Amino acid sequence: MNDDDLNRELQRLPIKYLHQLAKGRISRHFRLGKRRLIECMLGLPQEHKMALATSLANLSLPTRESVVNSPTPPPPSPGESPSPFYSKPTARTSHHTQGPSSPPIQLPELLEGIGVPSPMPFVPDEWQREAVEALAHADVIVSVPTGSGKTFVAIEAIKQAMAANQTVIYTSPLKALSNTKYMEFSHRFGPDLVGILTGDRRDNIHAPLLIMTTEILRNVLYDAASGEIDLRLHTLGLVILDESQYLADPERGVVWEETLILCPSQTRLLLLSASIGNPQELAEWLTSIRETPCRLIRHTKRSVPLRGLYLHPTGQLVPLFEARDIQQKKGYRFHPETKRLFNEYEVKPFR
Amino acid sequence: MPPAIHPIDLVDILRRHHLTPAIVFLTSRRGCDEAIDAFINTSASVSASHSEAIRTFLDQFAKDFPSIANHPLIPVVQDYGVAAHHAGHLPSWKMAIEELMRQGLLDAVFATTTLAAGVDFPARTVVISQSSVRKSQDFCDLTVSEIQQLAGRGGRRGKDFVGFVVVTPSPFIDLDILGKGLTGQPESIDSQFVISYPMVLNLLRAHSVDQIEGLLAKSFAQFQLNQRVTVHQERLDDLHEQLQPYGPRECADWVAQWKVFDLARRRKAHRRPIVTNDSPYLTACLPFLTPGRLIGLAKGPAIILRQYRSRGTGTPMLSVLHGKGTVGECQAQRVVHVYDHVYDFHPTRTVPWCLPSTLHQFKQALAQLPAHPPTVPIFEASPEADDPLLSEVLTEEFSCPSCPSYTACKKDFSLASRLRLKEQQVTKTIQALRDGLWHRFQQKADVLHKFGYITAGFQLTADGEWARMIRINHSLLITELIRMDAFSGIAPEMLAGVMASIAHDDDRPSSYMRLTSGLSSMLGKVRQVADSLRAYEPPPLLRSDVAALAEQWIGQPQLNWASLVRSTSMAEGDVYRLLARTLEFLSQIHTLKGTHPGLADTAHLAMGNMRREVLAELP
Repeated sequence: MNDDDLNRELQRLPIKYLHQLAKGRISRHFRLGKRRLIECMLGLPQEHKMALATSLANLSLPTRESVVNSPTPPPPSPGESPSPFYSKPTARTSHHTQGPSSPPIQLPELLEGIGVPSPMPFVPDEWQREAVEALAHADVIVSVPTGSGKTFVAIEAIKQAMAANQTVIYTSPLKALSNTKYMEFSHRFGPDLVGILTGDRRDNIHAPLLIMTTEILRNVLYDAASGEIDLRLHTLGLVILDESQYLADPERGVVWEETLILCPSQTRLLLLSASIGNPQELAEWLTSIRETPCRLIRHTKRSVPLRGLYLHPTGQLVPLFEARDIQQKKGYRFHPETKRLFNEYEVKPFR
Repeated sequence: MPPAIHPIDLVDILRRHHLTPAIVFLTSRRGCDEAIDAFINTSASVSASHSEAIRTFLDQFAKDFPSIANHPLIPVVQDYGVAAHHAGHLPSWKMAIEELMRQGLLDAVFATTTLAAGVDFPARTVVISQSSVRKSQDFCDLTVSEIQQLAGRGGRRGKDFVGFVVVTPSPFIDLDILGKGLTGQPESIDSQFVISYPMVLNLLRAHSVDQIEGLLAKSFAQFQLNQRVTVHQERLDDLHEQLQPYGPRECADWVAQWKVFDLARRRKAHRRPIVTNDSPYLTACLPFLTPGRLIGLAKGPAIILRQYRSRGTGTPMLSVLHGKGTVGECQAQRVVHVYDHVYDFHPTRTVPWCLPSTLHQFKQALAQLPAHPPTVPIFEASPEADDPLLSEVLTEEFSCPSCPSYTACKKDFSLASRLRLKEQQVTKTIQALRDGLWHRFQQKADVLHKFGYITAGFQLTADGEWARMIRINHSLLITELIRMDAFSGIAPEMLAGVMASIAHDDDRPSSYMRLTSGLSSMLGKVRQVADSLRAYEPPPLLRSDVAALAEQWIGQPQLNWASLVRSTSMAEGDVYRLLARTLEFLSQIHTLKGTHPGLADTAHLAMGNMRREVLAELP
């Protein structure tokens, strides 16, 4: 067996077997990755390499043929197991579910329905319409799961306010987010209509839509209170505070509070927040300190269902929970297969 | 079995199950970088057309953001369709990765958990491999909200029918935290209202003191405190009701009552006294038997060098200098006279318990002693518990013998007194909750008054007028430095260096760059000022290496970004953030152009020099 053959053979092996082979031959082999391990093995003296080849041949590989993959395996259909080596968990799961107790979900069932929906005209959800409509006569707090489409509410609200010839301020907690939103909104509304304020730069500050971090807005409000201001605050119709859960940030939360307290009373507030535990309390507070009432829009249902999977370091993929979709506030039961594998992992993670 | 799944295997499995694009959350930046490095020279590459699409996109992106044109990670990204995303990268590079992800051109992004809060890009799958996250120095469990933020990135609206969370174990993972986090109710948020110096100045500028009290009362902090007040108020009402039957009784003996209660309170407040066998006379003596005291022993006069208790029996002992000039030990009860004279004494820790020169002086003093020096009168303390009035109180009995309501009170005294005590406590708590914010405001205002930023009548002084423009952390330090003219005639690069070291509050280690002597003496001065302000404002880290970095960037306009980053071990993104923050601090100083034109100009010059290459790309 020459070097190239040996190299190819070794490349095909899972790293577990490489470590087995390296034991006693390479010092501190457990610190090495696959590439480095193979390099070291090929660097061994010739007679050692011969021994290595022999033990490689003797290595009991129950699924040896399955390891031999073509460089790019054809993508299997989701239901089908891709190779015998990886098919184990599926087989076991199905075996398990034949038991009499309430059947936990199986992997194929869980992986069902992956795909891209055909492009449809965007239909806003009920809560999104509700939020935009509520803004006409109230401040609004939106507390919905991440990725439900809070930005849509913001955009509709901005359109509404712009149509009424009002100034809109959009704040985010981080400069990075401000920049992303600036690009997004410039693209959507046109660069003339969007301005950005940062600590040291002011671009297009007479635009109807201004983007800034919350700290900057706080400073603007400070200056406005003491009467030295170059922004059109009297036409300020809407302030959007993105990621309002930052209110609870130990260092910066106070800025959000100050902003909300100092905001002019004719201005509408739109607070966009990820799911938090007590949005009701926040809404009560805003109602108590402002002239307009505050409307809370909240729900916990995700627009795209979420499912859990457990991936064992050996490559076995099993469902994480017994139920298919992850649901809030319903409690959870881990899938028996997940429990088994994880116990195995916890007991001897380094075998 | 390796401790955690190898990134290549992970991506391979995700690809085979059509679970890409995915975001893989890892604990550390280093973990992310190593995961990406693992792909180099493997067969996990993407197809040529895919690779081409990424390349076209990145080329396009580089037109707007030239800093990523020659990014070292470009080959990995385009060949393998994977990328790392963490705070160590430049913002422009991160934006490129985010945009690639939005367009679906990447299969996996390895990210630190900071991404969850920072930016907004979704994927089909989220991979979580840990249940804790590093916060400052410690590892903390992920909270439910954090886990939901992470998991929330899974499943793109309009692009996916379903999203996935893949949990893959790594050492120290706790599966139950993740289970709870994925299905549980997120935590409530609490107000984190803190009152800062700039806040006080700015509020005082625009509002009267009464208005400010009203504004503070409008805070969410006060709102939440008020909710706690209502709970306490209910308890208080309850107590009042319980106290009703004991009613307001006329108590004629209030002076005696007050005295006795006060005495009892003081007695009870003490811990149990240490039990000693000392006689009352000795106990009364001991406070006088201090080092340097002149005493009379049976043998003659002596001077005490130290007082201690013997290890075995615990009897009080003295080391003394005898009249004949020898140092010895004796029991404290052997002291015959305590004279009314104490010599100056500096105790040392070893024999002879004082300096040899002192010993010499003492010997001379002892030789020239008058025959009968005046003594200190010692009075034995009469034990207070013998007071019949008090002994009754101490046994929880009711006590105002001369009171007309004595018999009525005596029956229910113990219960009523407990209730009254509770009532007092609750009333105090309610007071504290109601006025806490206002008190903290006043504390800060007092400090500002002490430093002369506001007058006693809560009006801004001339200094206060400009100091309120500095609205950043460590504002008191910066304004004090400006007031003491520490920055007069300073070079722009030096100002930037100082600001950088004040601004940087990260203690990630980095290389120590060489400081110019001017900057190092300047930093020394700043450190002194910061230490003197320690009682009023926590001092900044004042790291000299970051100061040197900022100084180099501003002082050498021909220095390019790549060589700046090469000169330090800080990650590119950290250097960027440092400079961006310095820029912010400088721009605050620039707002002082009305009152400090020279300094503002210097700041402006520094800002101009700073804004080049990468720092000029983003607003």
